[in-house]
Amino acid sequence: MSATAVAQRLKTEWETPKSLWGKFATVDHKEIGIRYIVTALVFMCIGGIEALIVRVQLARPDAALVSPEVYDQLFTMHGITMIFWYAQPILSGFAIYVIPMMIGARDMALPRLNAFTYWAFLLSGILVYIAPCMGQAPHAGWFAYVPYTLYQYSPSHGMDFYAMSLILFTISMTGGAVNFILTIMRQRAPGMSINRMPLFVYSTFTISWVSIFAMPALTAACVFLELDRRWGTHFYTIAHGGSAILWQQLFWFFGHPWVYIIFLPATGMLSMIIPIFSRRPIVGYPWVAVSTILTGAVGFSVWMHHMFTVGMSDMSMSFFSAGSMMISIFTTVQIFAWVATLWKGRLVMTTAMHYALGSIAVLIVGGLNGVVTGIIPLDWQAHNTYFVVSHIHYVLIGGNMFPVFAALFYWFPKMTGKMLNESLGKWSFWICFVGFNVAFFPMQILGFIGMPRRVYTYPAGLGWSSMNMLETAGAFVLGIGILLIFINVFISRRRGRIAGRNPWNADTLEWATDSPPEAYAFVHLPTVASRHPLWDDHDEEADPSDERTLDDGRLTLVSTWLDAEPYAVASMPKETLVPLLACLTLFGFFLALVFQLMWLVLGCFLVTLSFAFYWLWPRPEAEEGA
Amino acid sequence: MMAAAAPVQATRLPRQPGTRYPLDKSRGEWAMWLTIATEGSLFVCLFASYFYLANNKNRWAIDHPPKLHYALIMLAVLLSSSFVLHWGESQLKKQRYVAARVGLGITILMGLGFLALSAFEYMEHWKDLTPDSNSYGSIFYTIVSFHAAHVIMGLLMLSYTLTLPRYSPTSRSPYRPYHVAGLYWHFVDIVWVFVVAFLYVMPNVRVYGF
Ligand code: HEM
Repeated sequence: MSATAVAQRLKTEWETPKSLWGKFATVDHKEIGIRYIVTALVFMCIGGIEALIVRVQLARPDAALVSPEVYDQLFTMHGITMIFWYAQPILSGFAIYVIPMMIGARDMALPRLNAFTYWAFLLSGILVYIAPCMGQAPHAGWFAYVPYTLYQYSPSHGMDFYAMSLILFTISMTGGAVNFILTIMRQRAPGMSINRMPLFVYSTFTISWVSIFAMPALTAACVFLELDRRWGTHFYTIAHGGSAILWQQLFWFFGHPWVYIIFLPATGMLSMIIPIFSRRPIVGYPWVAVSTILTGAVGFSVWMHHMFTVGMSDMSMSFFSAGSMMISIFTTVQIFAWVATLWKGRLVMTTAMHYALGSIAVLIVGGLNGVVTGIIPLDWQAHNTYFVVSHIHYVLIGGNMFPVFAALFYWFPKMTGKMLNESLGKWSFWICFVGFNVAFFPMQILGFIGMPRRVYTYPAGLGWSSMNMLETAGAFVLGIGILLIFINVFISRRRGRIAGRNPWNADTLEWATDSPPEAYAFVHLPTVASRHPLWDDHDEEADPSDERTLDDGRLTLVSTWLDAEPYAVASMPKETLVPLLACLTLFGFFLALVFQLMWLVLGCFLVTLSFAFYWLWPRPEAEEGA
Repeated sequence: MMAAAAPVQATRLPRQPGTRYPLDKSRGEWAMWLTIATEGSLFVCLFASYFYLANNKNRWAIDHPPKLHYALIMLAVLLSSSFVLHWGESQLKKQRYVAARVGLGITILMGLGFLALSAFEYMEHWKDLTPDSNSYGSIFYTIVSFHAAHVIMGLLMLSYTLTLPRYSPTSRSPYRPYHVAGLYWHFVDIVWVFVVAFLYVMPNVRVYGF
């Protein structure tokens, strides 16, 4: 059969109809991945605007732009928006987009679940933003410590929205994790044994396992919170034998692994990008891979370091302090691997590389002051001051936002077929970098001279005023830098230089597809003979008897999880509206729970259930592909 | 030949030209194992909260330690239902589909029996303890209700399997619904073992010391 005929058949088999129905029913991982990225960036803008209002309020002493109550709502919404609805979903978005192609598969293992988790992510974000629209936003910080969040102290619906939207978000996260694990363990191209897996795949794989085990703690904490608030139980009320510390235990058992969930895939991105622009393979690949996995594993044992000031036995304090120090060893291994790669490579200073290098610089500062909070006496001094605010932003922006921007510049050509403008990109980098440091470095000093976090204003004459003004200015500069990136995206999407298949001369399989890729990605599913399939002279397309086209249905190869020996062919589902519908009713379910409308809760539950039945029901023969 | 065309030896594809690898039918099973892993850690969190709240309290669950009779009967019902279901699945493998359905039906009835018993159990228990009595009541009822909710989910999966039109091997998903739903059911049963051990037996041991 001629090559074009095969391609044509694959196209009809895989392409989503370009209709309104198709938009809502699509299960294509490329479409869903981009949606994840765009949605997360929208949340980032919302969270950023909230942060800027916070900064304007703090720019001068005794300002009264917002009331104390609104201030609390603002920084809380900023924190949860950034932590939950931006930082992780954006990484999932890139992973959903590139990983199937990177490992040579045609879609995620469970495409309908993939659509479902996207809608659940979107709707959980909408759910939490209903609260500020009602003027009742959560207001207790992103980790919502009890007893302040109990009904007596927070009678508005804000904390109910917090709890319910996070449970919905947990569902989305867990579904996504299942999907990644299945995809990565079962669908790697023949020959991509685990010692040839790209490092981004390693990091996503690790955090997916971490999510499987860590997310339930958040669910449990939120369920208890809601029961205490509205149903009269006593998990957290001390007078009736409850324990306020229980919330902290559960929350940080989830929360610390969560920090790695939003950090590791970003380091995975750096481990992809830095070698490409150093024109050499990464130094110490096995070390990086192993330390990625160990970070995930040890991340479970350090949750108590958020609670040193709560009071606990000396023994357990030392244990958790040691754990926290140990984790920084693994991160250091990765940083050394990057530095060595840079050292031995020939650098190509693209914008993506600028962001990657910037993030290493920021991470080093952030990591160093992270060690400070791991040292218990210093933690006591710095706890709850602006020092902590500085630390989290150095880690989160160095460890998440800059790598994400690097990834955006790196993979944008693949997604759209157009290059982002490089000189505008470099401008945006320098503006972001300078703005970021001006905004967040003075916070360390402010912290040590005693400015607490989460205060809505401060009196003049404490020596804090000028630095606060500086920070606000820096924050706006950072905002302008980010705005430039968006402008770049909008312009280049139309008028950018044509990218071609592999503009960066990169080594992984997604660059073997067209830019933007066809719905089926590969005409011949690739095979792999090394860590760098596009750098060696192994001929990907050598499939003369069309054995790896699998063009008679929506099919992709399934292989063993260690050696990636193919052993089966998986048939993939088609477009369907059910994930969206099921998600909408689930959304109704949680919304009704916020207001305790129990009949509505029951109704939504039953409808969701019937959608689930329909989802799983065998399709009639006519719709069947294989 | 492939090997001739490819300079670097590609991974060999061990199959005859013209034939195809078999259809993959294990996706659902893998997903179910992961679901079980995450649900399992949900119960670990619940149990950990139970013990955390019990810690340092000398009046934990000792006024009225939960009575054992219902819980143990329920345990027996649930565990034997697992065996019935297992038998049903073995019939399925021998392609005795009617027997497989019967096994499934009996399992569902036993599950319903479990729920009925737990209703009685609740009624008896409620006289001494309610979720808003104290933290013990809160966590006790939460764990038991979470488990009951999982039993209901398991029953729904089994009922779904029961209503499927045919059980013969199929090339349409769901490929192995009987097996996958069964895995979940066994998981739910095992959780009850822990519930009985931690929530029912242990307080009685502490009070009566048998
Ligand atoms: C656009 C630039 C950003 C600015 C100007 C900014 C500014 C701020 C400020 C001033 C606070 C402290 C509020 C207070 O304690 O009174 C804060 C808190 C916080 N920020 Fe940001 N931020 C930015 C980006 C981010 C990003 C990208 C993330 C996460 C990925 C993030 C996560 C957080 C968290 C978790 C808190 C703590 C909220 C709480 O106290 O509960 N921020 N931010």
